[in-house]
Amino acid sequence: MSGFRLDQGGRVDRSRSISFSFDGVTYQGFAGDTLASALLANGVLLFGRSFKYHRPRGLLGAGSEEPNALVSVSRGPGRHTPNLRATAVEVYEGLTAKSQNRWPSLKTDLGAINDRLGMFLPAGFYNKTFMWPRSFWDKLYEPAIRRMAGLGEAPTQEDPDHYGAVYAHCDLLIVGAGPAGIDAALEASGTTKRVILIDEQDEPGGGALDDPALWSWLKESLKDLAAAPNVTVLSRTTAFGYYHDNFIGAVERLTDHQAELCSGPREKLWRIRAGEVILAQGAIERPLVFAGNDVPGVMLASAARTFLQRYGVVVGKSVALMAAHDSGWRDAFAHARAGVNVAAIIDVRATVDAELLADAEALGIAVRLAHSVTDVHGRLGVKGITVSPNGGSAESRIACDALLMAGGWTPSVHLWSHSKGSLAWDDALGAYVPDQPNEKVRCVGACSGKWNFGSGLVIDTLPTPRDQSRIKAFVDFQNDVTAKDIHLAVREGFKSIEHIKRYTTTGMATDQGKTSNLNGLQIASQALGRHVTEVGLTTFRPPYTPQTFGALAGHAQGDLFQPTRKTCIDGWAEEHGAVFELVAQWRRARYFPQGGEDMHAAVNRECRAVRSAVGIFDASTLGKIEVVGPDAAEFLNRMYTNPWKALEPGRCRYGLLLREDGFITDDGVSARLAPDRFHLTTTTGGAARVLNMMEDYLQTEWPELDVWLTSTTEQWAVIALQGPMARKVLEPLVEGIDLSPEMFPHMAIREGTICGVPTRLFRVSFTGELGFEINVPAAYGRALWERLMSAGAALGITPYGTEAMHVLRAEKGFIIVGQDTDGTVTPNDAGLDWAVGKKKPDFVGKRSLARPDIAAAGRKQLVGLLTDDPAVVLEEGAQIVADPAQAIPMTMIGHVTSSYWSEALGRSIALAMVEGGRQRMGEMLYVPMPDRVLRVRVSGMVFYDPEGVRLNV
Amino acid sequence: MSEALARTDPVSGLAFAGQGVTLSLAGPMARFSLRTRQPEALEQLLGIELPRKIGTSHDGAACLGPDEWLLRAPAGTTLAMGTGLPLAITEVSERSVCLIAEGARAAEVLAAGCPLDLDRFAVGRATRTVFETVEIVLLRTGDMRFEVEVWRSFAPWLSMALESAARPLR
Repeated sequence: MSGFRLDQGGRVDRSRSISFSFDGVTYQGFAGDTLASALLANGVLLFGRSFKYHRPRGLLGAGSEEPNALVSVSRGPGRHTPNLRATAVEVYEGLTAKSQNRWPSLKTDLGAINDRLGMFLPAGFYNKTFMWPRSFWDKLYEPAIRRMAGLGEAPTQEDPDHYGAVYAHCDLLIVGAGPAGIDAALEASGTTKRVILIDEQDEPGGGALDDPALWSWLKESLKDLAAAPNVTVLSRTTAFGYYHDNFIGAVERLTDHQAELCSGPREKLWRIRAGEVILAQGAIERPLVFAGNDVPGVMLASAARTFLQRYGVVVGKSVALMAAHDSGWRDAFAHARAGVNVAAIIDVRATVDAELLADAEALGIAVRLAHSVTDVHGRLGVKGITVSPNGGSAESRIACDALLMAGGWTPSVHLWSHSKGSLAWDDALGAYVPDQPNEKVRCVGACSGKWNFGSGLVIDTLPTPRDQSRIKAFVDFQNDVTAKDIHLAVREGFKSIEHIKRYTTTGMATDQGKTSNLNGLQIASQALGRHVTEVGLTTFRPPYTPQTFGALAGHAQGDLFQPTRKTCIDGWAEEHGAVFELVAQWRRARYFPQGGEDMHAAVNRECRAVRSAVGIFDASTLGKIEVVGPDAAEFLNRMYTNPWKALEPGRCRYGLLLREDGFITDDGVSARLAPDRFHLTTTTGGAARVLNMMEDYLQTEWPELDVWLTSTTEQWAVIALQGPMARKVLEPLVEGIDLSPEMFPHMAIREGTICGVPTRLFRVSFTGELGFEINVPAAYGRALWERLMSAGAALGITPYGTEAMHVLRAEKGFIIVGQDTDGTVTPNDAGLDWAVGKKKPDFVGKRSLARPDIAAAGRKQLVGLLTDDPAVVLEEGAQIVADPAQAIPMTMIGHVTSSYWSEALGRSIALAMVEGGRQRMGEMLYVPMPDRVLRVRVSGMVFYDPEGVRLNV
Repeated sequence: MSEALARTDPVSGLAFAGQGVTLSLAGPMARFSLRTRQPEALEQLLGIELPRKIGTSHDGAACLGPDEWLLRAPAGTTLAMGTGLPLAITEVSERSVCLIAEGARAAEVLAAGCPLDLDRFAVGRATRTVFETVEIVLLRTGDMRFEVEVWRSFAPWLSMALESAARPLR
């Protein structure tokens, strides 16, 4: 033996030496080592500082259950991963890892003062202490506590890696490739079932990796599985969550173990739908609860055996065992057989199996039954232990440099619990075991509770002659919760484990209490004097172990984060310098600045062009629904507030759509193409919602109607031509449609061709000017736009964006649903009573309009506002008061919903919701702003061309 | 009348080729949404045979729901509109584009974002489904060939997503 590495044994590749660094010191390990095993081999026992008391901590476990040894790994800019378990980090050439939660260094940590102040830091300390003054919390308490108590630092740079994702389907998913999982896979390998076997470690084998006697079996079995075409084996893959209908989320780690960064995905998210699931997650050994059980060098007996037999590393040169369970004895024997001095076996039980005693004697190991460890000496590492007979006060000291704990086994029921399978308490195991499944799932091996680890005593804390209230016996190592804290919680009146858990934070760390939950439960049960099953059970939730955000996001990052929908004319807008805005998922041109114009200059120019010549606008994003069938008119008549049955083919109508509650949810102009065919338009953002709502009514309320709805939003490109010259631009390009005002009046639709492609031509206006909306099949939208631009060049055709569109419609008092309405606005509130069919027997929302508080006076109503100073443009959202001299908080009677500079009027205009607004015409109201109070006069909503003469030309 | 208007497609013709998969854009075609509770009436009107089993296709017509078919036909095809009959025919030729994934890895590339069990999705099957958050109609037109109907504004995103899934692991 050189240092702590045995001369032989283990599964590491001794021909491949690997150089890595921890806290700036360079060490050597072997291929196949974890960071934990490699550091142990170098005699490093100290891995981190604890969360609250900053106590020095070493390894407790050897796998993903490890609560103490959390490290950060950095591998270049943006590639910083905190809170990795050293026991699950594979070493590679150049690995750079750091310990966490210590300052200035791991050995000398100033935060450790908390340990000596421990008696002042009981459970609930932070909640109780930092209550007052409230204002200190954000600036002082929270930042200070965060600095003191914390995990690793979150990465701050953008993650340069990318992540894959896949859906997979199988007939049988096996989670855990230990002996039980491998057996299940072998059994299924001869069938036609599609089998996936996944395992979180770097090689399959689970517990078999710790037992050289099983290695040849393992090798043969894996060879058989590799040869089976129906079996897929995934290593380095953690099944982190089990969801409804046998849907399992798993993350495969692809590059984190490789020395060379490669350009493939770092991790891959597997979304697996399985016909049947077999859980073979194994079991985790429980620590024992006694003073000093967290000193570096005190660890689970099974973990020590893993280091010994899998990695060829001893955790000490002279080890002692504190056992409450047979399995620890065999772990100690394995050490003795490997040449490690076993200083003593202490067992809390008075009697143990005679065979164990005989083996101990044969190996020359001193045994003390009915004894317990009552103290551990050493701070940065074990120097010895004190043991006492149970119930007695005699103390004797045993020299050793490592102490193994064997507290029995806890079946890993994490995924079982995610799947909502029920659990049953097993008194012999002192643990919950799977009972009734809720999905097509079963447990095999140790996680089912049926693995024979030998027998043991279930015990909450080890007997000690010392004052229990003065010792730190840890239950939850990661969150620094002691047995004393749980007793305190019980004394303070907490009776349910759910409350005890939240008060003490036991089991609430990143390890979800894999090693602590049952000890916490036993202690609470004992303190309450009630059986464990009456104290309760906390529920495991996904993820089984922490996963990266990158893996969960999959390829949803950067350009793939979510689709940005673009119209067929978007490319032209981009080439012509448009500034864009997002409307729902759509990207829309907001304005087209020219020659260094700012937004206001551009919008003013665009508005002038529409009012004086002609503007061209991409309205393709408007939602469109084709409503077809013999009952189409009847259906629309039931959906919309206004009458539709008498609308003649070839004519359009403004439709107002309410929800069942009587509030406006959408609006749009729709056309009747034929007796049984309508072309509906909706708002851009409302398209999907309106279609869903209509389908809902159709399928659930009126299934007898012969009418069908088809989204045609993307079938049509829509180009709005608006302005006095619009007809002139259009006339030479259109065939089969008489554009004269007599034959094609306002609010009409005609079908024909434009530049040789079919069109549905609407004569409608959202600007108050002569206007057309040209619908053509989307593939031709861009070419038609360009044709119109050149056809209208001599007439001053000007592209305008959504901002100018907003100004132009506000000048006419046209509302925008979602801007001037907020889901609590009725047609009457919005001044749209004219669009409600008074004689209609019913329509969606009609009944709600008769509710007393909907019909009551004094509701907010949409009105116009004109500022005293015409140059001042109000802020949208600004609150309105009647009396600016009143005390704060003032009574607010309304708010501004839309506000713009109107180039046509040479002044500002605004729309606002104001209590009893239409009764306040001409009244002076006030808009208090941070620096001044603005005077505004209530006006009508139509600011420009109230007679509408510009429309009918 | 000046020259005819040119078509603009939302994605370029060939998105990706290599590593066992080719992603390309199908040429223009006519598409119709057919709806009725009486498929016989539709069949009689159009002179075609409609598949009755949801998720199957026949001769260009895919049965997407109990009363819904997507009919794909050569570009320029026109249909009688069946005015007055208890059915609805709506032209949606330009609503979507069709991306084709072809090759030994085609199913694998689609599985990156499509939750269907593609092993069990036989040639001739057609269904409305999703690729991540984007709605698609997926058709298997060959053992190693899938066609993906996607609304045109989602096509660039889908094309990128498929390409990202197809990109070789260097």
